Amino acid sequence: MKRTNSHTMAHIHTLSCGKVYEHLCDNLDSQLDSESCRRIKAHIKGCKNCSALLDSLKKTVTLYKVHPAPKLPGKCRQELFAVIKLSGGKKNTTR
Amino acid sequence: MKISPETLNDAALIAKVKNGDERAFTLLVKRYEQTVWGFAFKLCRNQEKAEESYQDTFINVYRKIGQFDSRSKFSTWLYTIVANNCLMKRRKRKLDSLLESLDVAPDMESEDVQKQLAGWDDSPIETMMNKELREQMDAAIQELPSDYRVVFVLRDLEDKTAEETATILKLSIPAVKSRLRRSRIFLRHKLHSLMTA
Ligand SMILES: [Zn+2]
Repeated sequence: MKRTNSHTMAHIHTLSCGKVYEHLCDNLDSQLDSESCRRIKAHIKGCKNCSALLDSLKKTVTLYKVHPAPKLPGKCRQELFAVIKLSGGKKNTTR
Repeated sequence: MKISPETLNDAALIAKVKNGDERAFTLLVKRYEQTVWGFAFKLCRNQEKAEESYQDTFINVYRKIGQFDSRSKFSTWLYTIVANNCLMKRRKRKLDSLLESLDVAPDMESEDVQKQLAGWDDSPIETMMNKELREQMDAAIQELPSDYRVVFVLRDLEDKTAEETATILKLSIPAVKSRLRRSRIFLRHKLHSLMTA
């Protein structure tokens, strides 16, 4: 026998993987407690495929969150004000 | 009694900038430069472009502060300016159909999809963050069209709500949601080969 697909066993009556997939990304850590949210969470809990996908999506976001960014170089602000002065200083707003 | 400008709230500070107060403008730059820099860098992952965007953004603020509606949130306006700087440089449409195809759920039973779903390495993030992965992450996010990338950065990295992201980008909330979904799935697929244990 080929591998068993946990989602076809436990949650066939609630939701399909396809339906879950459509909502999977709306809010990865949704605290929402609507009926549809509860069904999606229940499905994910019992489905190896959907939980693997959700975990990897969360991890993707985390990786980008911790992806280092350099500090703002100190020269940037000086350069900005130099450019503004060169371009005429006083601005032309409402006068 | 004299109030120190440092303690002014945004609205009061901006009112001074609108009246041509140079010192108030300097304070406004200091108050928001880390936000602008962080957002700009996350959008382009490139030091030189981020510096350019920092400068362009504040020059725009300086010139257009008169147009800023003081009833709205300043940071929202600022994010819009940075995003527009980035979006102007865009127009590579060939990935769009691929991204749209990500809306369709894959057939979970197929061999290929099973391979794509194989569990990710669960070691701690810090230990996986090596040079190869960082390069792959940079390449992947840059491959994302900028009108998608900007949604991903605002929602997931800057932690903006869907509503604020929609306001910043002048998009509908469903458009924000669908771009975010597609972006996440796209990036996840791009990192997959490096992440399976
Ligand atoms: Zn499933």
